[in-house]
Amino acid sequence: MGVLTACKPPAQTRQHDDAAAQKRGLKLMETKGCGACHEIPGLNWPRGQLGPSLMRFNDTGLIAGYLPNTPVNLAAFIRNAPATKPGSTMPAMPVTVSEAVDMAAYLQGGGRD
Amino acid sequence: MTSETGFDHKLYGLFPQPRKQPDEGLKELERVWETPRGWKIITAVNNNYIGFWYVVTSFLFFLLAGILALGMRVQLAAPMQDFMSPDTFNQFFTMHGTIMMFLFAVPAVEAIGVMLLPQMLSARDLPFPRLSAYAFWAYLIGGLSFFASLFIGAAPDGGWFMYPPLTSTAFSPGIAVDFWLLGIGFIEISAIAGAIEIIVGVLRTRAPNMTLDRMPMFAWAMLVFGVMIIIAFPAVILCTLLLEAERMFNWPLFDPTRGGDPLLWQHLFWFFGHPEVYIIFLPAAGLMSMMVATIARTELVGYRLNVLALVATGFISFGVWAHHMFTVGMPRVSTGYFSAASMAVSLPAGIQVFCWIATLASGKIRWSTPALFVVGSIVIFVMGGLTGVMLGMVPFDWQAHDTYFVVAHLHYVLIGGMVLPMFAAFYYWTPMVSRTPLSERIGRWVFWLMFSGLHITFLPMHLSGLMGMPRRVYTYLPGRGLDLLNLVSTIGAFIFALGVLVFLYDCARNFRFTAKGPDAGNIFGGGTLEWLPAGLYSTRSIPVVHSREPLWDNPELSREVEEGRHMLPDTATGTRETLITSPVKAEPQYIQLMPGPSIWPLVAAIFTASFFMSLTVQAYPFAAFSAVVTLAAILRWLWDTDAPLAVEQAEVGGGIVLPVTVTGASSHSWWALNILMIVIGMIGALAVFAFFFLYGSSPEVWIAAPALGQTAMIAGMYLGVLALLWAGRRVLRARAGRVAGDLPWVLVMAGALLATWALYCDITGWLDAGLDPTATSMGAIVFMFMALQGQVVIVSLIMVVYLAFREARGLVTTPHNVTMDIVARFTGFVAVQGLVFTIVPRLFPGA
Amino acid sequence: MTEGLAGALWGWPPPVLDPAGPYADSVTVLAWALFAMGVVVTGIVVAALWVALRGPERWRRVLGGEKAVWIGGVAFPGVVLTVLLIWGLTLTASLTKPITGDEMRIRVTGEMWWFRVEYLDAAGNVVMRDANEVRIPVGVPVVFELRSADVLHSFWIPHLSGKLDMVPGRTNLLRAEATRTGQFGGVCAEYCGGPHALMGFVAIAKEPEEWQRWFDARVAADSVQPLAAVSTTNPQLAQGRELFMENGCAACHRVAGTQANGLAGPDLTFMGDRATVGAGILPNHRGTLTGWIGDSQGIKPGNRMPSYDRLSAQQLDAIAAWLGQLK
Repeated sequence: MGVLTACKPPAQTRQHDDAAAQKRGLKLMETKGCGACHEIPGLNWPRGQLGPSLMRFNDTGLIAGYLPNTPVNLAAFIRNAPATKPGSTMPAMPVTVSEAVDMAAYLQGGGRD
Repeated sequence: MTSETGFDHKLYGLFPQPRKQPDEGLKELERVWETPRGWKIITAVNNNYIGFWYVVTSFLFFLLAGILALGMRVQLAAPMQDFMSPDTFNQFFTMHGTIMMFLFAVPAVEAIGVMLLPQMLSARDLPFPRLSAYAFWAYLIGGLSFFASLFIGAAPDGGWFMYPPLTSTAFSPGIAVDFWLLGIGFIEISAIAGAIEIIVGVLRTRAPNMTLDRMPMFAWAMLVFGVMIIIAFPAVILCTLLLEAERMFNWPLFDPTRGGDPLLWQHLFWFFGHPEVYIIFLPAAGLMSMMVATIARTELVGYRLNVLALVATGFISFGVWAHHMFTVGMPRVSTGYFSAASMAVSLPAGIQVFCWIATLASGKIRWSTPALFVVGSIVIFVMGGLTGVMLGMVPFDWQAHDTYFVVAHLHYVLIGGMVLPMFAAFYYWTPMVSRTPLSERIGRWVFWLMFSGLHITFLPMHLSGLMGMPRRVYTYLPGRGLDLLNLVSTIGAFIFALGVLVFLYDCARNFRFTAKGPDAGNIFGGGTLEWLPAGLYSTRSIPVVHSREPLWDNPELSREVEEGRHMLPDTATGTRETLITSPVKAEPQYIQLMPGPSIWPLVAAIFTASFFMSLTVQAYPFAAFSAVVTLAAILRWLWDTDAPLAVEQAEVGGGIVLPVTVTGASSHSWWALNILMIVIGMIGALAVFAFFFLYGSSPEVWIAAPALGQTAMIAGMYLGVLALLWAGRRVLRARAGRVAGDLPWVLVMAGALLATWALYCDITGWLDAGLDPTATSMGAIVFMFMALQGQVVIVSLIMVVYLAFREARGLVTTPHNVTMDIVARFTGFVAVQGLVFTIVPRLFPGA
Repeated sequence: MTEGLAGALWGWPPPVLDPAGPYADSVTVLAWALFAMGVVVTGIVVAALWVALRGPERWRRVLGGEKAVWIGGVAFPGVVLTVLLIWGLTLTASLTKPITGDEMRIRVTGEMWWFRVEYLDAAGNVVMRDANEVRIPVGVPVVFELRSADVLHSFWIPHLSGKLDMVPGRTNLLRAEATRTGQFGGVCAEYCGGPHALMGFVAIAKEPEEWQRWFDARVAADSVQPLAAVSTTNPQLAQGRELFMENGCAACHRVAGTQANGLAGPDLTFMGDRATVGAGILPNHRGTLTGWIGDSQGIKPGNRMPSYDRLSAQQLDAIAAWLGQLK
């Protein structure tokens, strides 16, 4: 994980416009079952209540109240939350780096599918 | 031509009579058939009213079930939606199926029969108008209260075929399933009452000389329909009784841990359920045949082939039930047989379709809304039939069974085979009951919306099924390729619904009900008798029929009939009456007096409904009260139907004098009672089937029967019952010309009491042998025999008491009396059934 | 196991038309033939209707007699149906050839609303337990012994064979064989109340050697050895295991080698190795497992497992962590 955070990210704005990435992101959230714990925009089911709701995530300032809500941080958090924020109860997810980036793009894109 | 009853066919030459009847006669006829005014209209029993209310009510249920379908389509428009909860969805699809099958389709065709048949046959009314009124009210009240279970969240959710053990108390502890069982039980009563009415009506109230070979095709279809109901509905009645016995008394008929078998339900249910599909389809096909002839302006090609097809469908449909069960793990030989039979049943359908196409080819079509619906139905029905052939192929069925492929198939068949023909019939026959016809312009919109909506909804479902979407799912998972197909289906469903909505608009704008004319008339140029000028009494005189399309062959017929120049002009006895003719050649036999308006059928229906509903909610005292009131109301309505006659015979025109009401083999009530006994006998026969089926599935729970001597004694008692009844009838005959006296009814009552005692001995015998109805399936089914026998014994006891009352009032006539005849023969039936129920389980060497 | 689960199970092409074994192959051929028949016959009827309504006089005369009815309504369907019937019956016979007894046996029991899976040895003894997942070797004939514990269910893997009902009080035998490796989706196809819509499973076909290795390891692990004890050095796993035992999970679930011996719910001995959570509805990883334990009623409303929402996220995660490493 350290590898990813150490990489110097390309300059990015908070708002993604990459529609294709966002679309892939939503699809991934669906197939990976993220809804089991989170309420996610554009997903009917499941609408888990255990984790925080991810509706309007683009308005959220800090990831898990801890990290600045940037694409890189978010992608890293998705892949391995406990490593990114010690003590997080969100387990590491079986997703690749590019998948995590797409999912982050979707959440930060305002969740409009 | 040889005569069936001794009636001289040369006499038909007397009609039309040369002179028209004086106008006073018509006034008298109108007065006799006058309907009560104001709120008292609800006491009307005339088919012009009852038939119309019946059609409207069945259409109401079509709308209600359709709304449920739209709710389901919204839920399924996208994956994993929560528009409604799984429980609600399960209730919705159960109610949708149940209502469409039991509360819409069967009653709708029956209703169209009640409305059209007397007109087509030129009868004044159906033979038992109060029975139709009862059937209608029972259906309306029972149906609405059944539907209301949705609003209290207690609607059944086991699917329209209610397979146990899901519907047994272990998995459905609430009262929802009881609602279904009792609600359906109740509707069965009304269906059977209607079927008896229709069979007797078609066979005995046709216009003179309308031989079977000249009957309108719809009458043929309704005849087959009625017979099929008589044979098929007992199976579902037995189903409901068995499951209710398991639920209420813990009799393990379907519980495999105690020797029951869930497949018993499936066999019995589909023995009803598959013929049910044809029960719905055949009358609609009959309507199609009649409309095709009119819109092509030529006689139906292949009339006799078509009749053959109707009858063949009726027969074969009783041999295909297990094609709903190819996946339960049946032996290969059985699946082969049922597969072959399922293929065979599509042949008669093919004949009918090609008869229609040939008729269209031999005539020249005049396009109209009914014509559009007729042609559209043919296409859709053929498509549904073809997917049916696919499903009849066992290996393919193993894949497609219980998926959306089947959902698509059955909707194509039922909508193409019944719903669209019904809409065609609405447009076609509206001018008969409305002052203005429905709009041709709007009608085309209705057709195209429904036709396209149907394809958009159901065509994609074939694919959803093959993609693995099972039936009866409240949702489906995302990412399985089903999203788009389901969205399209939902859009289609709303297009279809829009078509129905436009139809309602058309009705609101143009439909103006009239029971006594003037109506819009024969705007499509039909050739059958329902297009004769008519009032509440149907036609002023009953035409002698010489062909299948009398109006085409004799353009003067309408005028002749209206001038009273045919048979039974105006009223012969000064009361409501109709002409009873012989079953094959329709030779005039006698004049039947018909009962007029009465509140009692309505009272009986209300309390029958409250009887069943209080049973459901386990309010037993009120149920008992309702049963008593129902009984009293039925007996009260019967009381004045068999009064001693003021006139023994009357002239029906041309100097022909006919007797007024007779008993014996030629009376219409003899026919009705026989049909009723067939229904009860079928229930008994199917119970015997259940006995052997359960033995085959769990022989290990069978115990030895009580001693042979006891069996012989009980059998002897039942034979004694028959002897007593025979004696009672002898005595009545011997007293011809004198008062009946007490001896006849005393003998019949002794018979009924002896039958009761025999049943008591049978029950105690089995109990002493150690049989316990709650312990094993053998106990359950043997005690089910007793329960069935107990029901008929109670009825026969009530009947003899009624007979005794009539004798006390001096109403028992000699040497024949309808009431005496009916009571004696029913009690005889009780004895025969008792004999079978005694002998079968006691002599079967199962243990 | 988790990669692209949903997509691999269903979707295009329709599984019925995408057979992966001899018991589905021939039915696919039949299905295509039936579709062709359907299209052709519909075409013929529509053409006949067109002739009847719009066609030239001469054609209409031919079509407008009883002879046309005999040909179109009796002879033509008679021939088509007879051919189909013979085909259908022959195929039925070949698909229901008697079972020799050498086939691999897997007993699957339908329960409300999941599938109990038991692998049997030649003598019919249960040698390994699983749930909502069957793994079979490619090229080996398999017989599924289908039973029901409660109501009617139906066992259907469209890629591999037709469906067969699970009837209480009876045992039905379904033949299947996979000719290629892969994951194939299965569902319950008979309405069984409540969340029937969410009652699925996965069939996984593996190369025989790979399958054998996997199977032998499983059979060994499924016996009484204290397999789960190995991991208790890790404090989180130890906590998860303890929570599992203390919170009543063990009353319904069995984990071989521990005191968890409940039989009402799915066997969790190999939970970490399973493809799905919740009977074929979610991919199996620690996240979905956590979500399922905490909110199973939200994910699959009406199922028999209560939502453990009184446990904290951290506790749920610990249980999921422990279950996830049971392989």
